[in-house]
Amino acid sequence: MIEISVRKKLKGKISEFELNIDIRIESGDFVAVFGKSGSGKTTLLKMIAGLINPDEGFINVEGEVWFDSRKKINIPPQKRRIGFVFQDYALFPNMTVEENILFAMDVKDYRSLDEILKLMEIENLRERKPETLSGGQKQRVALARALARKPKILLLDEPLSALDLETRLKLQDEIGTVHRRFNLTTIMVSHDFSEIFKLSNRVFVLSDGKVIKSGKPEDIFIQEKISGKVKFSGQVLKIEKEDVVFIVSVLVGNNVIKVVSVEDEIKDIKVGDTVLIASKAFNPFIMKV
Amino acid sequence: MNRLKGKIKHVERSDNISLVIVDVMGQDITSIVLQGEKNPIYTVGQDVYVLFKETEVSIAKDFSGEISLRNRFHCKVKSIDTGKLLSRVNMRWNEEDISSIITTASVKRLSLKEGDEVLAFVKTNEISIMEL
Repeated sequence: MIEISVRKKLKGKISEFELNIDIRIESGDFVAVFGKSGSGKTTLLKMIAGLINPDEGFINVEGEVWFDSRKKINIPPQKRRIGFVFQDYALFPNMTVEENILFAMDVKDYRSLDEILKLMEIENLRERKPETLSGGQKQRVALARALARKPKILLLDEPLSALDLETRLKLQDEIGTVHRRFNLTTIMVSHDFSEIFKLSNRVFVLSDGKVIKSGKPEDIFIQEKISGKVKFSGQVLKIEKEDVVFIVSVLVGNNVIKVVSVEDEIKDIKVGDTVLIASKAFNPFIMKV
Repeated sequence: MNRLKGKIKHVERSDNISLVIVDVMGQDITSIVLQGEKNPIYTVGQDVYVLFKETEVSIAKDFSGEISLRNRFHCKVKSIDTGKLLSRVNMRWNEEDISSIITTASVKRLSLKEGDEVLAFVKTNEISIMEL
C-alpha cells in the first residue's frame, strides 16, 4: 500500500493554487493520473520520487516512510526505490545505452543488465549513443534504466506521447508486461484514453491540485449511460468500407468482434482507439458449446 | 445510430423488465429494458435519448393492415445511397433525421425514391435508452 497525503503551494498559469492530495494506492495497482496541464500531475510524480518536497504531509510506501514533514523525514531520491520515465527520455547523451543503464544501478550488476537488455529487446543497441536511436528505442532504454533500479514504484510521465501510433501500441504492451513481471506499482500520467483503458485499473482525475474523481477507467470515462446490457470495451483493429456500411473489427480480450456501423457513427473513431460496444440484452443468441 | 431526444412519460415494470415509454416530439416511443422493480433507474420526467441502429429500421410504403411493431415514424425520404447489396435511406421525421439500412433489392421492390412518404418501424426491443 502506498499512502500519499501532501500539500504544497504551486504557481499556476493564472494564480497561485494549493496542491492538496490524499490518496491510497494498493500495491500492484496500475494507476493513471489524468487532468489538464498545470493541474499538478507531474508535481505529484516528482514528490513521490523526492525531486520536489511537499510543504507538509507524508508519503508512506509499503510500511516505509519516504517523507514526513512532522517527523522531519525526507529520504533522498536515490534511496527511494523508484523508476522514473519522462516524456523526453532524459538519457545521458555522452553515455552508451549500456552505460546509461549501469549508471542507474546502486551496485553494477551485469547479469541483471543482460536480462533487462534482453527483455526490452535492445541487446543490439548496447554500444550505441542515444542520439543515434529512434524515439521508440530511446524510450525502451529509458524504461530499461528505470527497471535497473529494481523499483517498487514505476513512475511514468506521459512516456509515449511523443511516439507514433504503432510504436506506442507496442510499448504499451511492453509496459503492461513489465508491470506484471516485476510486480510493480505503476503510476502513469497520460492524456490518452485508450492507453489508460488498456493499462490501468484505477484512474485519478486531477484539477487545480485536487483529485476530483477516482475509480475504474470504465466508470470515469464512459459517461454515456446506455441501457444496453451487453457491453464490451475493446480496441479498434480495422475499419473497412462495404457498400453503405463499415465493418469495424474490435479486439475484445482475445477475440475479434465485428460490428457493422455507418459513416456518422464511426467518423471520430480510428484504428487503435478504445471503443464501447453495446447491444441490448434481447438481441444476442446463446447456445451451449 | 439514430438518436432522438425525449422525456420519459410512463414506466411499466415487472420484476426485472421495464417498458419505458418516451415522449419524442409528441409521439410515444417504447423501449423494453432489463431493469425492473428490483433496481428501477428510469423515472417519469427524466430527459433521455432513444437510440436505435440504422439496420433495425424497417420501411413500409402505402402501409395498411395491422402490425405488431409499435414504434412508427411517418417520414419523408430525403435521399437514398445505393450500394450493391445494401442501401441507406435517409429520411426526415419532424425536425429530425432518421436513417435506415435495408437491402438494395427492397429499395427496388418498394420503388423508393426521394420525396416518398413512408412509415419507418422499429421493434421495441431494438430501442436503447441513454441518460443525458
